[in-house]
Amino acid sequence: MREIMGHTPGKIYLFILLVSIVALAAAAFTGVMDTPEGAAPTLVLGWMTMPLVLGFAFVAVWLVAYLVYFFFFWPYR
Amino acid sequence: MDLLVLGIFGLIIIALAAYGYKISARTAEDFMLGGRTIGVVVMFFFVLFAVSSSWTFYGFPGMLYLEGPGYVFFVWGSVAGFAGLYMFLGPRLWALAKLNRFLSPVEALSERYQSKALRVILSVTILAFIIPYVGVQPLGVGRGFEALTGLPLWVGAVYTATLLVFLVLLGGMRIVAWVNIFLGTVYVTALLGSLIWIVAVLFPEGGLAEAAARVAATAPEKLSTPGPNETFTPVLVFGTFLVGLLAFSWPHITIGAMTARDKNLFKWFPLLIFILGGFFFYTIPFLWGSIVAPAIMPGVTDVAEADRIVQTIIQTYLPAWFGVFVLMGVIAAAISTAAVQLMMSSILVARDIVQGVFMPDATDEQITTIARWSVIGIVVASLAVTAAVELGLGQEAMALYLTDVSVPGFAQWGPALVGGLLWKRGTKQGAIAATVVGTLYLVLGLIITGPDGSRFLLFNLHPVIPTLPVNILVYIVVSLVTPRMDAQTEAIFFDEVEDFLLTETNT
Repeated sequence: MREIMGHTPGKIYLFILLVSIVALAAAAFTGVMDTPEGAAPTLVLGWMTMPLVLGFAFVAVWLVAYLVYFFFFWPYR
Repeated sequence: MDLLVLGIFGLIIIALAAYGYKISARTAEDFMLGGRTIGVVVMFFFVLFAVSSSWTFYGFPGMLYLEGPGYVFFVWGSVAGFAGLYMFLGPRLWALAKLNRFLSPVEALSERYQSKALRVILSVTILAFIIPYVGVQPLGVGRGFEALTGLPLWVGAVYTATLLVFLVLLGGMRIVAWVNIFLGTVYVTALLGSLIWIVAVLFPEGGLAEAAARVAATAPEKLSTPGPNETFTPVLVFGTFLVGLLAFSWPHITIGAMTARDKNLFKWFPLLIFILGGFFFYTIPFLWGSIVAPAIMPGVTDVAEADRIVQTIIQTYLPAWFGVFVLMGVIAAAISTAAVQLMMSSILVARDIVQGVFMPDATDEQITTIARWSVIGIVVASLAVTAAVELGLGQEAMALYLTDVSVPGFAQWGPALVGGLLWKRGTKQGAIAATVVGTLYLVLGLIITGPDGSRFLLFNLHPVIPTLPVNILVYIVVSLVTPRMDAQTEAIFFDEVEDFLLTETNT
């Protein structure tokens, strides 16, 4: 962590991870995963509920950010 | 026939443990950390199935079934927490332990903070929260035995405990890690195979979409937050995610980083966690609990029945022989987790308490022997959990035990761990004060309840929400007002580690 904080790519990497967490919180608090009154629940591809979709999106962001940082910028690579 | 198959399964595990004993180097380092030779693939199975206990078969789908999909945020947090351990803390902890021959993370912290008292406090605290969690695993298997064979709960619990003793006593950390590949494969095959089979049999036209459509028609509130009982409010959803993030502080996971073969592991490990853990493995029990089970068997409201819902469906709709295979999977999941927890516990007893305090000159052989004997003691203590449930004294909701008691308990050493590895200004006084205050607050908050069962000391929040910030605050404030570590300690725990990580070549 100290090595990641010590250079600009690391700071950008941590910022992206932080933003993804804030985005997840924003999604929870804005009711993206709730079913509006009188409407049917949102199901992506017919079976993926919104908590699953949001989680996949969250993991995907972490995965891409990790791949870029750890394979190209990590000081200990 | 069922018992014969389970007997053979048990014998395979014992044989693997015996083989591990035969090839082991008979040193404390080999027994406790697998000789620091674990590569990335073994590490992945080791860690994933160290955390994927019988909770992923009972507690997790049971909670999703009862309260809707919001609980999955614990998994999203956990995936980030596990990856975070290996990305942010793992390399330093590994290098520190390798350079200084530390055998436990508590030992590393006690040397970092130059405090024997902290070593005892951390060991006792972790043991207090980990041993009951070890006991939850035999309990889960006992419940599966009961449902499948009709035998009492304690039979399955004793069967599991016996296998655990043999595996850990003989095999040590290396074989526990390797056996997790076998156990994990059995478990994934059982969990995924049963899901595919059930969906093919009961929803032949539309598969998962057909199942989801059925739930949407009969109980649409089970497909979104806040769930049928309006439990998963935005605050709880995000709080559950934060609790999951603390997975880096689960001691039996933290110690895994110390068994790594080289630093290359820390570069590759998160890839497996994100793809195979985040996108694949945890999705299986999620689909079981949030879509398939509510579609097939709606209307269950009892917590214990909900915990058993996956097994009940499998036994009802699939052939009997497959039920035995699934129970083997559950046993595999339980043993893979409890074995690592047992290893961690025995290391704490032997290395940190006995050698760290009472027998500083103990030999490798003595310490390994003590670790082995402590395994038996810890298993017996953990079986008290099963006994409590049998006698009607215990809380049966497995999901809640993990997230409401164990995780908040494990979190109490988190600030000392993170601060010790990353913050030069952290002091022993800060670490001791924070761990003691946080743990006491947690215990009192859980024990002292109002007439209606409310945890008013915790403001009726998740136990980790009020206790961890208090812990962190105490750690920072006390550290800042007490003398910083000496230059020699700083050189050993920061400068040398950074130099080593920059120059070390992967093997």
